[in-house]
Amino acid sequence: MIIVKDLWKTFKLSRQQKKEKGTKHRDGKIHAVAGINFTCQPGRIFTLLGPNGAGKTTTLRMIATLLKPTSGSISLDGIDIRKQPQDARRKLGFLTGTTKLYDRLTPNELVKYYADLHDMDRNLFKKRRDELFALLDMHEFAGWRIGKLSTGMRQKVSIVRTIIHDPEIVVFDEPTVGLDVITSKNIIELIRKCKQEGKTVIFSTHIMGEVSLLSDDMAIIHNGKLCYKGTYRDFQNQMQRDSLEEEFIRLLREGQT
Amino acid sequence: MKKIMTIFKKELIDSIRDRRTLITMVVVPLLLFPILIGISSKIMISQARKAREKTLRIGLMTYNNAREFRESLLGREDVAVIDHIDAELGQQLIKKDSLDAFILFEKDFDKRVGDMLTGRITLYFKATEEREIEKRRVLTLLNDFERELRSSRFDKLNLDLSIIETIDVDEQNLATPKERLAEVIGGFLPYLFIIFCFMGAMYPAIDLAAGEKERGTLETLLTSPVGRFQILLGKFGVVVLTGILSAAISMLGMYVGIRQVKEIPPELLNMILSILEFDSIILLISLLLPLTIFFAAILLSLSFFAKSFKEAQSIISPMMIVVIIPAFIGLMPGIRLTPTTALIPVLNVSLATKGIIADTIVPGMLIEVYLSLIVYAALSIVVCSKIFTREGTIFRF
Repeated sequence: MIIVKDLWKTFKLSRQQKKEKGTKHRDGKIHAVAGINFTCQPGRIFTLLGPNGAGKTTTLRMIATLLKPTSGSISLDGIDIRKQPQDARRKLGFLTGTTKLYDRLTPNELVKYYADLHDMDRNLFKKRRDELFALLDMHEFAGWRIGKLSTGMRQKVSIVRTIIHDPEIVVFDEPTVGLDVITSKNIIELIRKCKQEGKTVIFSTHIMGEVSLLSDDMAIIHNGKLCYKGTYRDFQNQMQRDSLEEEFIRLLREGQT
Repeated sequence: MKKIMTIFKKELIDSIRDRRTLITMVVVPLLLFPILIGISSKIMISQARKAREKTLRIGLMTYNNAREFRESLLGREDVAVIDHIDAELGQQLIKKDSLDAFILFEKDFDKRVGDMLTGRITLYFKATEEREIEKRRVLTLLNDFERELRSSRFDKLNLDLSIIETIDVDEQNLATPKERLAEVIGGFLPYLFIIFCFMGAMYPAIDLAAGEKERGTLETLLTSPVGRFQILLGKFGVVVLTGILSAAISMLGMYVGIRQVKEIPPELLNMILSILEFDSIILLISLLLPLTIFFAAILLSLSFFAKSFKEAQSIISPMMIVVIIPAFIGLMPGIRLTPTTALIPVLNVSLATKGIIADTIVPGMLIEVYLSLIVYAALSIVVCSKIFTREGTIFRF
């Protein structure tokens, strides 16, 4: 379970950024995330929806312990990420659409590397690797250098890298960005599989189609603040517009005013 | 420790598989010395042979003086004399490289010499390094001539030549062969080893920090249950290892290079090989190790700070000059290892290496060099770890 309470992330702007942002940020600070609260339950998929620059990635990076919150708290299965970041990371799998892999390693080596970093038992690792490689049909290219793999093959390697240690919480940051339909489908299936296994899943997107395909719970974030929080079903029931896209835009406009 | 080793092993495999790292770490240091020593020594030897064996082209204007000298010149097989040319033409021919030297006697040369006065000879030549041997050959001819004149003058006066030798300086050079060699190449070798250390560490540092940041792989690495300092140490180990290996490979390259030149006199060869003795190499590497740690920390700090591989390259490339300058100062004659210079990084290693090669290193100075290097290395690691743990550096916004 992920519990996010009154989460803030403030960045100091550089001189150049202050010039670019103009008078809007006179104090030289920008609140990328401004006091958000939400809970992600195990066995459910939580979608963080928002336009570019809304604060999705910053929020997920804080959950993944990459960024320290300015204030507020995040707990992963009862572990405070500020106090025990390494313990929190043991429970985490993190995948982004922009993440690349080590081109000079083979899928075998890469997966072993991450398993070692997670202190996985050797036999358990072999069993899990073989299962995942079989599931994703990866045995053929498991010994090839990653640099020589196609985008689809690489994405499969990324998936295995993310879940090799069987994390209880999986964070997906816009995982399908720039991917073709077939590769995106693999990711969608992975997210569903994680849900079926009872994992806590949070994923960010700005693609409405993915929201309707996957979401159990959702939040809409804009300018670092949540404009909506609830179940996807409630969202559909409360819609004041005909389509998801139009309702999303309406909520963003409301949020701005 | 286990996780540091996991990261170290992975980074090492990743670096070794990188062609660019292999070129800077292995190929260049291994081949540079053999090529440099092989080609340069062959060119130098053949140039010197040519200069010694070539027929000297000497312009001469004696105004009918020094007949014996003129005849002896004309009689020589290794000299082609162009006789009776005036001063202006002689100088022009020198400038055009048509003559190696032009010897101009003053008109009353014989008379002045006969009157026990000084006869003037003007020698025109082009003083360049490549013409040094030709110049020396002409001077030898003139010195022989002077000796003959002096001898006949002393005979006339019934004097012994020893009368003008008021003192006899017997030069006894007590410098050991190693010291003499250190004077010649002692500054040059550490200069190269330091440069290779830096070069060998540079590319992996950029790749393992800025490269990983740019590729986005650092982000996933940071979400694994590994402390940032452990990640840093794993990467650090590889950067230091590649720097040291690069310097060690350059020593091997030097050994191979020297062995392939047959013209090196055995005495000199033995002297050079004595530098490459096991003890000396261990001492040199022990000096280079803290320096490489210092380099690695600086390189990694700058690489982590850079947004991309390219930016890291453009920040780090000028650093090469910062390394070269103190290493170059160490090449200069008269610069010695003192309590002050022992505190200047790079220069202290350069001077200490010179001392090790010459076998003249003072243990106290060496300890000061080690201590200062260890302090610099420790400080640079602290700075590097501060930079690496700052989220503003890793996710530069």
